[in-house]
Amino acid sequence: MKKAKLKPIILAGVFLLGAVGLILYIVSLFYGLFFILAAVALYFLYRWLSTDKETVIVEIRKFLKNLTIPVIGISAAIVIGAIIMLISGYDPIKAYRALLYGGFVKNWHISILNATPLIFTGLSVAFAFKAGLFNIGAEGQYYVGAMVATFLGIYLGMPPIFTIPIIFLMSGLVAAAYNYFPALLKVKTGAHEVITTMMFAHIARYLSSVFIRWMGGDSAGTHPYVTNPILDANWLPRFKGLFPDTNYRLHTGILIGIAVAIFVNYILTKTKFGYEIRAVGHNPQAARAQGISIGKNIFRALLFAGFLAGLAGVNQVLGLDHKLFENLSAGYGWNGIAVALLAANNPIGVIFTAILWGALDAGGQYMARTVQISNSIVEIIKGIILFLIVARYIYSWVGNRIKRRKQLASEGAK
Amino acid sequence: MGGFFSIFNEDLLVATIRLSTPITLAAVGATVCERAGIVNIAMEGIMIIGAFFAVVVAYYTGNPWLGLLGGVVAGALFSMIHAVATITFHLDHVVSGAVLNILSFGVVRYLMVIIYGHPGTTEPIAKGLAEYKFAVPLLSKIPVIGPAFFNQTPIVYLSFLTVIFFLIFLKKTKTGLHVRAAGEHPLALETIGVSVVKMRYLAVLVSGITSGLAGAYLSIENSVSFTEGMSNGRGFIALAANISGGWTAIGSWLASLFFGFADALQIRFQIFKVLPIPAEFFIIFPYVATVLVVAGLVRRSRPPKAVGMDFMIEREED
Repeated sequence: MKKAKLKPIILAGVFLLGAVGLILYIVSLFYGLFFILAAVALYFLYRWLSTDKETVIVEIRKFLKNLTIPVIGISAAIVIGAIIMLISGYDPIKAYRALLYGGFVKNWHISILNATPLIFTGLSVAFAFKAGLFNIGAEGQYYVGAMVATFLGIYLGMPPIFTIPIIFLMSGLVAAAYNYFPALLKVKTGAHEVITTMMFAHIARYLSSVFIRWMGGDSAGTHPYVTNPILDANWLPRFKGLFPDTNYRLHTGILIGIAVAIFVNYILTKTKFGYEIRAVGHNPQAARAQGISIGKNIFRALLFAGFLAGLAGVNQVLGLDHKLFENLSAGYGWNGIAVALLAANNPIGVIFTAILWGALDAGGQYMARTVQISNSIVEIIKGIILFLIVARYIYSWVGNRIKRRKQLASEGAK
Repeated sequence: MGGFFSIFNEDLLVATIRLSTPITLAAVGATVCERAGIVNIAMEGIMIIGAFFAVVVAYYTGNPWLGLLGGVVAGALFSMIHAVATITFHLDHVVSGAVLNILSFGVVRYLMVIIYGHPGTTEPIAKGLAEYKFAVPLLSKIPVIGPAFFNQTPIVYLSFLTVIFFLIFLKKTKTGLHVRAAGEHPLALETIGVSVVKMRYLAVLVSGITSGLAGAYLSIENSVSFTEGMSNGRGFIALAANISGGWTAIGSWLASLFFGFADALQIRFQIFKVLPIPAEFFIIFPYVATVLVVAGLVRRSRPPKAVGMDFMIEREED
């Protein structure tokens, strides 16, 4: 009886400590990490109270095991990156020191700003992946979301408590509608979504230029040209108000991103909707045999993926830029794919991989400024990390080889 | 309206051929690759790698022919990563392709900064392949199609040869048959003692070579320098051309011609301002056309049965 009473209290503690620690950590108050660690410890205590000791140990072990491949992949990529730097005449130790210090300490706020849109596009790609679909055109849905957000941000003059949710919802819905056509073509004609969403992404990129001129952008003026700014009232709240020492640009979009990631994880693991999506992605024939409509779930998955990618655009417009830039190769789509693949399409994992990606970019810029090592090295390190983590089979292949050699050696000894 | 119809002239056909060349090359590569059962969405990245290395080699040697070779070799090598990842390491084809596209941006950006000192656009090469334009005697005098098909630059001719070669290769040769079997029924191929793995490696290599050549066309024939992102979705359009063309070399070529035509048309629409609307509405025309064609034609043909499927065989000695 005592246990049952304790459990909700502990769970509340987990959320409270976690949230406080997270916010502190985001605004560069790094002692927030202790709160987060305490929350993690409390969570395992909660699991221990809910089940038995063995299950908890198995869970912890599984958690650690899931981390091994990423850790190996990242370490290997760091070593390969160092070799490449040595070959091209840079000092890798100096470079990495600047990269890590810039990305995770000095310019941490830029890392967070970089990571926020990637959480949304990463979730978008990951969600479609769960249904066995490849939303390669997330960048297009990003632009659609950003365009709607800019339009509403300029014209919607109401108290922000209404407008911000409306803008998020509307922009996401229009971005979802933009993915309706690829979904329709996929279901009706079998046209592969890799081609259709990619083409739609190119279309959205160019339409955004038209939109920007329409919204006051002057193509004859500065480059890149921009729309008129959105109303001040429609800006996302920023951390500066609560924590005066924080960089003034750091906005609360990251919290929305994390919340959405948790929500997506909940949908995928705990609801019928998510179950059907995963069933279709895992084995379409088996899903159909169970009475799950494949076509319906293709629509759901691509529309929801479009919605999520659209939120990335809203987040940039309301949170960071407060206007829409003409930027024809922002790369949120491709980086979203990278982030989703790195996280093995796990929505919670996407948060961390997006932050890693954002930090590598921010650290790279810091490195280029301080120790004059081109930040383009970061692009290569990103590519190698991605390749080494995605190609999971390499590890079992290498493992089998080693096992085989040992076996042969022992047989030879006999 | 006289102005409108005046854009439909001989030059439009010439431009159609020129603009379709990179798509044709990559689309034929995609055909061979998919017939062997490997989906290659990395062609966009291979094109970028090919385009970049073609410029670098041509820049340093001063010889665009060596540049062409450099682009092809670089594309072939880069495509081998896709082959290793998908065939040997059994990685999902689309995932591997996406990763290689991302990697290609990184590799090119890095090397560009190392070699040229800045990202963006490279320094122009001294002499591009466009200067080697030559007219085939007699044939180039044929009205309308003569100038378009027989008075062109080297890689355009190479693209015609590529189409003819792989048309014959896939249909008439034994290796071509084996390649097709690798994508249709790999187990049967393995049973008659032909290695599926080898055939699939060969097919990916072909797509790497043709995509590298397509890249070289973009950078050292159609232009004299490399610009980041210059492939601009052509690798994906080539995939669409292959599918619309029903997984045949000749079909891929015809579909590529259509996409080249769409592109040529939009450029003329822009220049002659035939309609008072923003230029971007014309620029998106080829992309819209791609979607429509893929949606309209995809049902007509059947993809290779084992396309995108992993092939794993348990062997005693492995």
